[in-house]
Amino acid sequence: MSDNTENTSNAENPYRGDFPILAREINGHPLSYLDNAATTQKPRAVIDALVRFYEHHNANVHRGVHTLSEEASSLYEEARAKVAAFIGASAAEVIFTRGATESLNMVALGFARGLLRPGDEVLLTEMEHHSNLVPWQEAARETGAVTRFARITDSGTLELEDFAAQLNERTRLVALTHASNVLGTLNPVAELTAMAHKVGAVVVVDAAQTAPKGLVDVAALDCDFLAFSGHKMYGPTGIGVLYGKAALLERMTPAFTGGGMIAKVDKERASWGEVPRRFEPGTPPIAGAVALGAAVDYLQGVGPAELRRREAGLTAYALEALDAAEDVTVFGPPAGDHRTGVISFNLRGVHPHDVAEVLDETGVAVRAGHHCCQVLMQRLEVPGVVRASLGLYNSREDVERLLAGLNRVREVFGVSGVSGGEAARRGRA
Amino acid sequence: MAGPEHSLYRQVILEHARQPRNAERVEPHSHVAEAVNALCGDEAEVTLRLENERIAAIGARVRGCVISQAAASLMTEAVRGLPLAQAARLGGVFRQAIEQGETGALPPELIPLAPLIEVRKHRSRIRCALLAWEAIETMAGETAPGG
Ligand SMILES: Cc1ncc(COP(=O)(O)O)c(C=O)c1O
Repeated sequence: MSDNTENTSNAENPYRGDFPILAREINGHPLSYLDNAATTQKPRAVIDALVRFYEHHNANVHRGVHTLSEEASSLYEEARAKVAAFIGASAAEVIFTRGATESLNMVALGFARGLLRPGDEVLLTEMEHHSNLVPWQEAARETGAVTRFARITDSGTLELEDFAAQLNERTRLVALTHASNVLGTLNPVAELTAMAHKVGAVVVVDAAQTAPKGLVDVAALDCDFLAFSGHKMYGPTGIGVLYGKAALLERMTPAFTGGGMIAKVDKERASWGEVPRRFEPGTPPIAGAVALGAAVDYLQGVGPAELRRREAGLTAYALEALDAAEDVTVFGPPAGDHRTGVISFNLRGVHPHDVAEVLDETGVAVRAGHHCCQVLMQRLEVPGVVRASLGLYNSREDVERLLAGLNRVREVFGVSGVSGGEAARRGRA
Repeated sequence: MAGPEHSLYRQVILEHARQPRNAERVEPHSHVAEAVNALCGDEAEVTLRLENERIAAIGARVRGCVISQAAASLMTEAVRGLPLAQAARLGGVFRQAIEQGETGALPPELIPLAPLIEVRKHRSRIRCALLAWEAIETMAGETAPGG
């Protein structure tokens, strides 16, 4: 399994040096940052883009004729074009938002509430993040529609037959994640979208976990709306994207109104400006957008194929090691093409937070809890899980430090990794 | 592991988490309240029976981490025999001690809980140490008008 030797140590990882924060020591140890599904660290190029914008080009956009305003506007629109190219969209279909959560809420408020009628159905899945669940629940409650949930299998993949069975002529909207932020499962979105379109449903995709992997091609997915966040793809916080098919964006009502999004305003009413400006009222996060453009440049420089190859190799390595530990239960599909490098597990006899606490003392940053997926936790019948999620600067050394940290956890809590017990992996013999 | 005690997971805390005191539901009880840590979903259910205005029996059932379990166990021992309002006040003192990191002036009932004050260095764990106390505060709040 040592096909990719360059993944062996942090010193040999060619990208790690691009990320200044990774030079930090945590609790006297080097940092193994394995919380990339929550947010990624930022490369120097992104940090520089923020600084450069504020030092050289800062001005409001679309408002002034002065030089700086024109520069800022050009940079902002260039960033939009870069993001559009990155996901296979046209620039007019890319709306800058504050993040995936805001993007999804904009569709729920501005589109779903106008679409749904009493008795209509919204189909979700059991693996949705609260950001792609609660907005639809609320839209359904407001309109008298009902939410339904496609089930997942014991190995954490979507039950395709159940998804198909739950689609019917009352299904007006399907909202699903491209990849689970807990299980790592990659859903076959293109296939599912085609099924949903057959019954006339509109498809909204949460791509928060796949945009950073260069896995989003809206033309191939053919989804109607798609949302993601800049901060999970090596860009800054406070910037995100809503993609929508041009025709649907024309039908969407602006959830927020104000300056910069209008065509004309008089005392009684206002008319809306062009898309995408119509959905970007007020002063947008300009520097954030420009720096997101820099993050896209950075990811394009690495290349989607390289991103996936590295992550796949390291994911297989980590899963193999965790599976070998008899007291570790891994949730989610086996290594392979249908999963990302998000790895959730529990250590028998130790609460996830206690695991994460002790790992942190060894410089290993993981996350523990329900990960904004309480419906999934109920399905898995656990209060929470420990999640190690990989980024492009991780190497085998980080995985090995995670494994060593787990030994430390066993020591502190007096649980042994070699005593007898139940099967190591759910859903697999 | 031979060596210095873990700074947060002291032996006394681990021991209480492993074998929590008063971990059974009290039946019949005069008061029941639940507390949930929304950050992690951990839950505590506290039941108690007042006799002659004092806590004669108390039980805390916790689904949670080592800190929340040990804190609940220690809490039940600290408040038994006290009037409910005084138990709630004690919770307030404990909360303050954590927030200010003071162990010096703890009232005698809280001295066994002193090792938990260490959670102040771990922001996300403070709620764990206070979870069961929140249930006590809820109960006291419900009966507050009478005293
Ligand atoms: C799958 C998924 N969807 C949505 C979100 C929400 O993203 P944000 O908090 O950046 O809006 C996240 C991140 O927490 C996520 O992992």
